[in-house]
Amino acid sequence: MTSEETADRIERRREGLSHWKWLTGVWLILTAIIEPVIYFLIWPHLPPGNMTSSARGAQFDMMVLTMIAAPVMVAVLAYFAYALIVFRHPKGRPLVDGPPLRGNLRVQTAWITITSAIVMGAFVFGTYELIVPAGAGGAEGPSPIWTPASHTELPVQVIGQQWIWTYRYPTFGGFETTQLMLPNNTEIAFHVTSLDVIHSFWAYQLGVKADANPGVDDVAFTQTNQLGRITVRCSELCGIWHGAMYGYGEVVSPSAFETWAKAMERRLAPATRLLPPFAWTYTPSANGAGGGYYPQTDPYYDKTLYDQGRSGPEGNLPALRVEKSQRVG
Amino acid sequence: MQQSVLTALLGSAIGYLVGHWLGNLIASGYPVVQSSGYNNVAIVLGLCFGVVGWMVGIGTMNYPLAKLVGREPVPESPTEGWTRFFKMTLDHKVVGMQYIVGVLMFFFTGGLFAMAIRTELLSPTTHYWGPDTYLQLVSEHGTIMMMMATSLVVGPFGNFLVPLMIGSRKMAFPRVEAASFWIFMSGFLVILAALPLGGFNTGWTGYAPLQTEAKQGMDCYLVGFAVIGTGMILNGFNQIVTIVNYRAPGMRWTRLPIFVWSMLATSFLLTLATPVFFGAVYFGALDRTVQTAFFVDAHGGSSFLWENLFWFFGHPEVYIMALPGFGIVAEMLPVFTRKPLFAYKVGAAGMFGVALLSFFVWQHHLFQSGINPDMRPLFMLTTELISIPTGFIYLVGMGTLWKARIRYTVPMLFCLALYFNFLIGGVTGVYLSDVPVNVTVHGSFFVMAHFHYTIMGGLVFAFFGGVYYWMPKMTGHMLNDRLGKIHFWFMFVFFNFTFFPLFIVGLLGMPRRVFEYAPRLAHLNDFSSISSFVLGASFLIFVANFVWSIWIDPKPAPQNPWDSKGLEWQVPTPIPYDNFKRIPIVLADPYHYGEPDALPVADLGGELGLASVGAAGPSAAAGAGTSRTGAGDGQSRIVGGGPDE
Amino acid sequence: MSDAPAALDVHAEAEFELQNAEGAIWTATRLLIGIVTFAWSAVAFAYFYLRAVDPAQLWRPHGTTPPVLLGTLVALGVVGGALINAYAAPRLRRGETADWIFATSVTVGLGLLAAGLQVWQLTRLSFFPGVSGYTSVFIGFAGLNIAFILGGTYWVETLLARAIRLRPALAAEGGPGLSTLPAAREFRASLEGCTYFWWYMAIISVLFWFLFYVL
Repeated sequence: MTSEETADRIERRREGLSHWKWLTGVWLILTAIIEPVIYFLIWPHLPPGNMTSSARGAQFDMMVLTMIAAPVMVAVLAYFAYALIVFRHPKGRPLVDGPPLRGNLRVQTAWITITSAIVMGAFVFGTYELIVPAGAGGAEGPSPIWTPASHTELPVQVIGQQWIWTYRYPTFGGFETTQLMLPNNTEIAFHVTSLDVIHSFWAYQLGVKADANPGVDDVAFTQTNQLGRITVRCSELCGIWHGAMYGYGEVVSPSAFETWAKAMERRLAPATRLLPPFAWTYTPSANGAGGGYYPQTDPYYDKTLYDQGRSGPEGNLPALRVEKSQRVG
Repeated sequence: MQQSVLTALLGSAIGYLVGHWLGNLIASGYPVVQSSGYNNVAIVLGLCFGVVGWMVGIGTMNYPLAKLVGREPVPESPTEGWTRFFKMTLDHKVVGMQYIVGVLMFFFTGGLFAMAIRTELLSPTTHYWGPDTYLQLVSEHGTIMMMMATSLVVGPFGNFLVPLMIGSRKMAFPRVEAASFWIFMSGFLVILAALPLGGFNTGWTGYAPLQTEAKQGMDCYLVGFAVIGTGMILNGFNQIVTIVNYRAPGMRWTRLPIFVWSMLATSFLLTLATPVFFGAVYFGALDRTVQTAFFVDAHGGSSFLWENLFWFFGHPEVYIMALPGFGIVAEMLPVFTRKPLFAYKVGAAGMFGVALLSFFVWQHHLFQSGINPDMRPLFMLTTELISIPTGFIYLVGMGTLWKARIRYTVPMLFCLALYFNFLIGGVTGVYLSDVPVNVTVHGSFFVMAHFHYTIMGGLVFAFFGGVYYWMPKMTGHMLNDRLGKIHFWFMFVFFNFTFFPLFIVGLLGMPRRVFEYAPRLAHLNDFSSISSFVLGASFLIFVANFVWSIWIDPKPAPQNPWDSKGLEWQVPTPIPYDNFKRIPIVLADPYHYGEPDALPVADLGGELGLASVGAAGPSAAAGAGTSRTGAGDGQSRIVGGGPDE
Repeated sequence: MSDAPAALDVHAEAEFELQNAEGAIWTATRLLIGIVTFAWSAVAFAYFYLRAVDPAQLWRPHGTTPPVLLGTLVALGVVGGALINAYAAPRLRRGETADWIFATSVTVGLGLLAAGLQVWQLTRLSFFPGVSGYTSVFIGFAGLNIAFILGGTYWVETLLARAIRLRPALAAEGGPGLSTLPAAREFRASLEGCTYFWWYMAIISVLFWFLFYVL
């Protein structure tokens, strides 16, 4: 290698270093501006608010992810902006080839290491935030494995059907309403199920979402810690009035809830008797509603086999929770 | 009578009538048909026979039937003139151009549906369409766009470019190639046939209990996806076989253009994921016709079965819609930066990493469904892992831009737009993969905006970049630069104006596919809707540009207008029927910009000679010397790698 | 092709393209098996998923067994076809074309018979398709199986027809099993793939026979 070439290489290296200095400087300044903005100004306004433990958790997680994502996006965008301005081909000049850089082991290794580290960090953080707050308000299926420590949660059954949400309160005789009332400072266990197609129970302010599947008891936990109104929407397409399938509710003080629930239980008792007995899931064949399979008209119907699937706890309300935990074990 | 689109239409009409008649003959006596008044058997059989009639009419069945009596294939004589675009042809270049028009038909139809959706969402409560019509529009839009996007690049550019890039004279199975295109077009007719049959209201995901109870338009969804799926399998199958077997001598795997790598990875997804979905729609059709109970919970089926099968296909499909875009961008960047592709091997490995991982992430669509809730951390991990190989494409792009000589041509603008849009789409994907945050954003407009940023912001921008870039080679005419730039800026700005507000709308609590929403979201929705109309209008600029540059004021394009070193640019325009007079001997990869000692990309031999090989400079002569004499050091570089290496 | 000449002459080009075509058939056959495997995996997944999840305790009530004898005959037909195919292919390569043509005709017959029996079995079911998960998956399996067997039979039939048509032209060179003409070489590549595919069909048939009639 001639000394001329060496000098040329050193020159190019110096030029490269100055590019890096500029880029790092811009990135540091922008990051230093953006990160506090996210933490102090944006975090309190991130959805879905902080009415419940799961909503607050989602808000926190969103803030953390944003604080991770912002520097990455700033780095990429700053790099592109810089490159597009500095490395452009001047108009009207003859076409010249750029330096033949086919790769750079250090840059590639650094890139892979950094992205892997970010991803693994996000994974560990996300898993922690999922498991510790008992599923973070998400659907946990019929036998949840991440449950609240207290085990004193209020069960609320959410029934989706085309195109309305109704709620049954098994600890109050299983009455059914269209309004979601919840006591404050209480662990709630939503048991979401459907009578027809797949719906998705989305209580926005509670930070809860769980699909309502026919024949499935889908459980989601949260803890209320603020009074306020709730909006419930269906977030899974369920037919023509999917867009109109919304309802409202309220988180009230525990004593107000107790009064309301007792009053409703009394007032609705005549209607409750006409409802199918409380169960974790309902199928059209069990109560004869909505058409479907009628075992008594089926020549191959085998009652013993069929009844195994019907061994629900109907009419035996106090045993509900026991039956549930047995299934878990 | 010569077989063309006309005979195909005739064949499909006859086929439909025969199938419908047969279906009525078989099923009209059953109580379920009599009591409902719907005979899905007739519709499904009608559609299937219609597709067969279409394929017979266009001529794709001629050889398969002749094979039954042992006939050898009849070689096709090259044809000229515009009528060849309306016939079955064995010329991969014509198929590629047919595909461009075909996917644009899908794209513009789907785009009109999109604007109809945005019209409804102009107001939170006033309705321009009824809820049923609205859902039909949503479902048609989603389905048509998904069908389009799976073939958007693999169809047009895959078929047109892969043989040219690897130095082959044809695709491995030209009849399969033609069949893949024509069955793709019959899918267009099938899915539009849903509208007169009452449409379907399940969205493109077609979730099961709703699917089972939906109107007869649903049959069009099921048959349509089976048909499109067949086309996807055939196309991907053909691409893999071609890329593996038809590379010219010297086209080692390390010299393969990155676009071909992306086609290979995509094709593996197409061929292996689609059959599962084929099974799923087959089960769905059985549920609706012969009354099986795959997806009926009360009868021993499960609605989860559809969700699992659908997303097992559906997630690889998402990457079917991303990888080709990466391929196009990575292929164009070296040309417009005058630099070799940075970290070529990492880029190719990244594409295969994405392809492999995409088979293990499907349940992230089902985080809130109650399926295997204890598996959520695993699927969160795989989903987040996939962002590592996806990030390689940024490494490749950013490295290539370093100290480059960037030319802001229209294709380059589209390339850069992909990097901007996909950054937003990718980062929001990390939010979706995080289960606690997913609780809020799942099923909302946030998801909707996210995948529009990746699919439209990524793939569709790459597609249009590719159209501007390769059009001179395809048609021999440059598209107008000024109109192209106007198109780009309108499309880029109003794409972002349309979809960025929808992230916010989703975070504020608006679920997908609703026709009513909270009045406080009206301003954001209006902004998005009006932007979407301008976005739609920007494609008129493209159409005008196309018409202007090809027909009204055609200017012949030079053989290699962008000064690319790619093999596809070294053949004359218009490309001869056999592409290469002699099979080229590949000497180098197509990215040797700024390497004065490099050999030209290939020795094309014959009368083209090495003198015409690109802007290879003085080294071309040296390369010619060594390749002709085959002596000395040049020998090992030239002949070192055969196709079997 | 590791020592490809620097410039291929016309004959070398023809040979090169023929080798590409042979390689393409090889790759295509293996890939086809991959594609079909994924399609079958949808059925297998439905089988095991519904069997395991079984939400309504209705996986397989009594009286929902399809005719076992017919099902067994279908599977036997496919296995027999594969065996005959495997027996006949080496004979073709030794130049015993007539043997191969006879054996392959039997394979075609067995394929058609198996598909026909599968259709007949569908008409002899003692249950309604939607009464349980098992019956649903069975109907799905049967329909796909008919298409699958017919597809394999189509392939072997086209080879048979091609061999019969090529036979006079290739007779001087020892028939399609020995000739070095391009048509014969492509024919052999396809035959080799077809033999593989029939083995694969046999495996699938036995597997699903076990799932539906034994397990």
